[in-house]
Amino acid sequence: MALGGATAPLTGCDLFDRDEEPPEPDALEPLVAEALALEARYRAAATADPALAGRLTPIADAHRAHAEELRRVIGRPAPSGTPAAGSASAPAPDAVLTELRRAEQEGRTNAAKACAAAPAERAALLGSIAAARATHVEALK
Amino acid sequence: MNSPTTGPASALADALAAEYAAIWAYGVIGVHLTEAARTAARAAEAAHRSRRDALLLQLAEGSGQVPADRAGYALPYPVTDRASALRLAVEIEERTAGHWRAALPHTTGADRNTALAALTDCALRATRWRRTAGVTPVTVPFPGRPA
Repeated sequence: MALGGATAPLTGCDLFDRDEEPPEPDALEPLVAEALALEARYRAAATADPALAGRLTPIADAHRAHAEELRRVIGRPAPSGTPAAGSASAPAPDAVLTELRRAEQEGRTNAAKACAAAPAERAALLGSIAAARATHVEALK
Repeated sequence: MNSPTTGPASALADALAAEYAAIWAYGVIGVHLTEAARTAARAAEAAHRSRRDALLLQLAEGSGQVPADRAGYALPYPVTDRASALRLAVEIEERTAGHWRAALPHTTGADRNTALAALTDCALRATRWRRTAGVTPVTVPFPGRPA
């Protein structure tokens, strides 16, 4: 690697050109994807049934905030674009809430596992995310 | 516990101090509530006592300082009616959640799972108290995180 010697201009494979092989995926990447998928589910449900929007939108916002905070900790920018929302058919509100509770409960378990396995500097954030998901289940009751 | 003044023991000692304060606060809160809310306050107080007792046992096994309870605590504002009692209940749970959250980086294995369970329980009670008080939204994005 050339670091600016007299005959080596900073072009091509230099310090700022990071086109080497991609780094290993971070252990938190699945949690980011899950947070964005949960956000999309809540947004779709709120759109399909505006009567639920008041309850569901703050939870969608929380999942988005979790994804952004996880990305910050991982230290990589988010890919552009938002994930595709799930099928936008409009089942009965009870079925929607039941399905969201199930997804949220699963997400809570995943975040708790990630918290248990995380290095110290990530434990607090993951703990807050796991606790938040538990409160989302409660808020859907 | 291998580090008596910093790290795990200190973080858990802080959680214990927060549990003492929560137990004391629920004594004040409960008298201003009735029916289901009073029952919920009693259950919350019992849950905090149980966390306190577990922490006392755990900290007694180490060589660090085990903080003692105080005779009383300063209230952040007068608690005179149902509304102020519910507001304090939410704040006490969020505050205690914060201390358990702060213990997470200092723990591993079973101790971390205990701290996470305690953080989650506090967050759940805060959410239920917000619902009882008619506060929306009933959730916060990052339970226990300092504002």
